[in-house]
Formats: sequence, structure tokens, C-alpha cells
Amino acid sequence: MKTLSLVSIVFVGAALTLGLTGCVHKPNKNFTVLPDRTRPSATQPATPAETNPGPGTSIPPPSDVQKMPDGSIPYGTNESPWTGVIKDGKPDATILKPDTVYFDVDSATIKKTEDKKLEDVAAFLKGHQADALRVEGNCDERGTEKYNLSLGEKRALAVREYLANLGVDARQVVTISYGKAKPAVEGHNEAAWSKNRRDDFVVLIPKD
Amino acid sequence: MKKSLKIIAALLFSCALAGLAQDSTEVIVIPKTTTHIVPISVSGFSGEADAVLKFDLSVLGLELTNADKADYLVSGTEDAGRLAGRLKQGGAGGDIFARIYSSGTSRSQAHAFADDIVKEIRGTPPIFQSRIAFCRKEGANMELCVSDFDGHDVLQMTHDGSLVATPAWSPGGRNLFYTSWKSGYTQIIEHEAATGNRTVFAAYGGGNFNAVPSPDGSKVAMILSKGGSPNLYVSDRNGGNLQELTHERDEASSPTWSPDDREICYVVRSGRASLHKISANGGNSTLLRVGISGNLTSPDWSPDGKWIIFTAGSGNFTLWVVPARGGEAEQLVAGEDPCWAPNSRTVIFTRQVNHNPVLSLLDVPTKHVKDVGQISGSCSQPAWAR
Repeated sequence: MKTLSLVSIVFVGAALTLGLTGCVHKPNKNFTVLPDRTRPSATQPATPAETNPGPGTSIPPPSDVQKMPDGSIPYGTNESPWTGVIKDGKPDATILKPDTVYFDVDSATIKKTEDKKLEDVAAFLKGHQADALRVEGNCDERGTEKYNLSLGEKRALAVREYLANLGVDARQVVTISYGKAKPAVEGHNEAAWSKNRRDDFVVLIPKD
Repeated sequence: MKKSLKIIAALLFSCALAGLAQDSTEVIVIPKTTTHIVPISVSGFSGEADAVLKFDLSVLGLELTNADKADYLVSGTEDAGRLAGRLKQGGAGGDIFARIYSSGTSRSQAHAFADDIVKEIRGTPPIFQSRIAFCRKEGANMELCVSDFDGHDVLQMTHDGSLVATPAWSPGGRNLFYTSWKSGYTQIIEHEAATGNRTVFAAYGGGNFNAVPSPDGSKVAMILSKGGSPNLYVSDRNGGNLQELTHERDEASSPTWSPDDREICYVVRSGRASLHKISANGGNSTLLRVGISGNLTSPDWSPDGKWIIFTAGSGNFTLWVVPARGGEAEQLVAGEDPCWAPNSRTVIFTRQVNHNPVLSLLDVPTKHVKDVGQISGSCSQPAWAR
């Protein structure tokens, strides 16, 4: 009798566990990544393109990117001619390396000294319509990680806005922040810090 | 004459004391001191139990000393898988409690005993069997780890060969939220600690950082830049019903919830970084007045609602604490990125040791600091499971 009830308890326990979790999981070793929950509301279009047809081969969907009154340029949610290359493109960090933009401490303002570089980047993007650009924002070590993640992102967005004001389609440009995690120069003085407060440019080239 | 008066006085005094001692219903209670280092002695233990007791007590600003100088005496033994512990008042004082701890390991029994000791002396709730999460440098990458609060039993939670940042626990410690770069862009990941199951919680265009579940678990605050600038957003626990709370041109960062879930304190960098508060339902924000200037970042709201601790400075960081309604902040110690323990008294933070970040524990009222020496390497961004 005792054995029977013990077995039934184990059985019920296992059934409950299975019911609650759906399957048996190995602790901390295999990660199950479920689909994104990025669609925030019903206003999202439900037709993801399988492949990026590329500009010139079909009429791209209209841009849903509008500059705000305060100058900010939100991200659109519609597919763009660059959705595919942004997702799958081959990154090239060398082409526009000379144009790395530098910032003053605690600032995301684009200095006059950097204008020429951004004109160069804009010209490149206009002349390479199949490519996209990833702007990588970075900070020096003198902020906390939380502060620096936002500041690095703001630095990248500032360049995206600047390029859009030069006529680049904002959908061709994406941003990423590394905070202080990827210094260009190790060191604990202004010589190093000034080289780390930067936006790097990574060109994304279609794979084919 | 004087000498005999003194003797009479001494006799009367000792009679009075004797009278008190004989009155079994009256006990002299040393008040629970909160702001002073308290001398304490520990005897009778060895090995892990001894090490655990001594570490835990020092975290709460109880300073190890000899029995003859101690305000409190901790003693006991371990036998047959059980810990017998006793706390006495120092000097001629009596027992405060004597207890047997029989479940769990030697470490957990010692932690439970230490929690009981601290409860008597400091009046604070238990923390010694709680857990922390943090980021650890692995070569050029960062991975997420969890461990006991004292750095024992470190478990590496991610093996993505990428960067992670800003971990935060859901209430009760079931899930971790953090930002991962493993996809090539920033995504907020929700990670079930016990099973390792992960889902992508948020992967909007632009930056997805610093997700923090509300204390009641019903909402998540986060920083998103999909609107063109990093701003504070709040969603339901499942990521739906996303609301943009701030609309700053120069960016927001580091949200922290009030324990009643009604407000969020966060940072805006407009000129200098400053602290602000906003209702969780949105509306106007207010500046949190702290009485000092400079770059004020990475706030954390104490679980009892009374205090906000934050980081000040650019590079040479210091921790400051201010009443949650605002006021004159008090300087604590050198360090950054603080996170309160469940007892609203202990704080885990990062401090630089020769430019290497290490995790450290602060007893806020005494400003006593104890490094989490058990963890080696470059560790930062600690989050205490509450």
C-alpha cells in the first residue's frame, strides 16, 4: 500500500510538472529561444519578406520613418529595402574606419571637426544603395554601465540624424551601443578616454 | 570618611545589581544598535561554519573581537549534521537565544544562524541565503553569472561568447532580465534561472537596455531607443501594452521602481546627469533633490521605500544615499552601481581595485565595506534577488 501511494504521488508530481512547463528541461545548459515578442500591438503589418528584393528590383514599401519636431528620428517597423542586409549582411569595419567620429566627455553632440567625416559617410551610403550602415556608439570608462549604454546609443543616434539631414534614408542606418565594453584604447587617462568616446562605422554588405 | 562612603556606595550598587539579577522576570536588554560597529566574538566552530559566521556577521558591521571585549558572544558546535548555536550578551549577560539548525548543508545552517544573530542585534530581516546576479568578463566578452550573496557556488548562466549587461531579477528571483548582444544587436532576454529557458523579451529597433521588473511583478520598465532617443518605457509583464513614459531629447537611463510599484526613479543626461521621478502611469516628472551636484547615475530604491542610493562622479565614483522623497544626500564610500539587499540596509556594489572591478558589500549605516572575495576576475553590475 505504501509503495502504491508513493508511486502515485510521484506520478502526479511529474504530470503536474510536465503540465506546467510543457517539457522537461535540462538545467542551465541548453537554451530554448522562442520567437521574438517584438510586435507590440495590432498595428504591425503581418507580412515579413522572405528575402530582400533590393532596390530597383521592386517597389519598396513606403517609409514609415518620420522626423519628429524635436529632431529625433524613430525607427520604423515596416520592412525597408535594407531590412535583409541589416539582418544578414556581411559586416565590414574597415571601409569607413577613417571616419570614426569622436565626442567630448558626457556629450553626444557632433563637433564641427567631425562634419567632413559624416559628409564622407553620407556620400558613401548614397553611392552604395544596397549596403546598410551600423553606427556603433561607445563611451570612455568614466560612467556606470547603465549610463554609458544610453550615452553610447545616443551618440550613434546623433550620427544617424546627422546623416538623415544630409539626405541619407534613415532606414539605411541602424545603431548599436557598447557602452564602455569595447574600448579602442586601453588606458586610464585622457589620451585613451578621448579615443574611446566614439562612433565606429560598420558597413553591412549583402551576401550573395 | 570619604573612603567608607565609597565602600558603602559600592555595596549599595552591587546589592542593587544582585537584586536585579535575582528578579527573574526583568532582563536588561541592550537596544538594537543600528549605526555603530558592534564588537562580537565567535567561538566553538571550525571550517566552513566558522568562515560563514565570521563573513556574514562582518557584512552587517559586527566586528570580530575577543570575548572579553565583545558586546555579544556567539558560540556553538556542529555535530552529526546539525549546528547548535547560542547568542549571549557580553560581560555577565545572559542568553539571548539558543537554537538547533538541522536542515541543509553546513553552510546554509551557519547562514541561518547568522541571520538569527543579525535579527537580534540589528533588527533586520534575513539576507544570508539570498542570491546575486552579475556580469563577469570572459576575455573580450561578458557573461552572466549568479551566486550566493557571498560569492559561493558561482553558476555561469550564459555561454554566448558575446556581451551581456544590466541584469535584474523578477521578484522572488525566478527570472533574470538582461541585455544581450548575441544576436548582433541589443535584445532584452528573459531567462528562467532554474531551467535555463530563455525568450527574447524585447528586440525593437535601436537599443533595448536595462529592463527591471516591478516589485509586484506586473510590469517591466526598460530603456528603448526605438523612438529616436533612449527613453523610459513600461510594459506589462508579458511585454505587451508598451507605454513611453519619458520623451527626452537627451537620453534616459537606469530605471528603479518604488516598492509600491507606483513610481520610477531614473536618470536623464541633460547637461549633467540628474535623478528624476515619474509615475509608473506616466505624466510629469519631478527632479529628485539630493543637495549635491555632479553626474548622478545608477539609482536604486530601497525595498522598504525609504532610501534611494546612487552613484556620483565621473570616474572616481562615490556612493550616496538620500531619503526617497529627496533631501540632503549623505556620502558613503567609493564605488558605483549599487543594489540594495532585501534588508534595506546592505548594498552590493562595484568598486575598482587597481582599475579592476570587484563586487563589494556595504553596511550603509556604519559604512563598513566587505569585498566579495570569493569571486575572482572582473565583475560588475550586481543585482540582488529580492
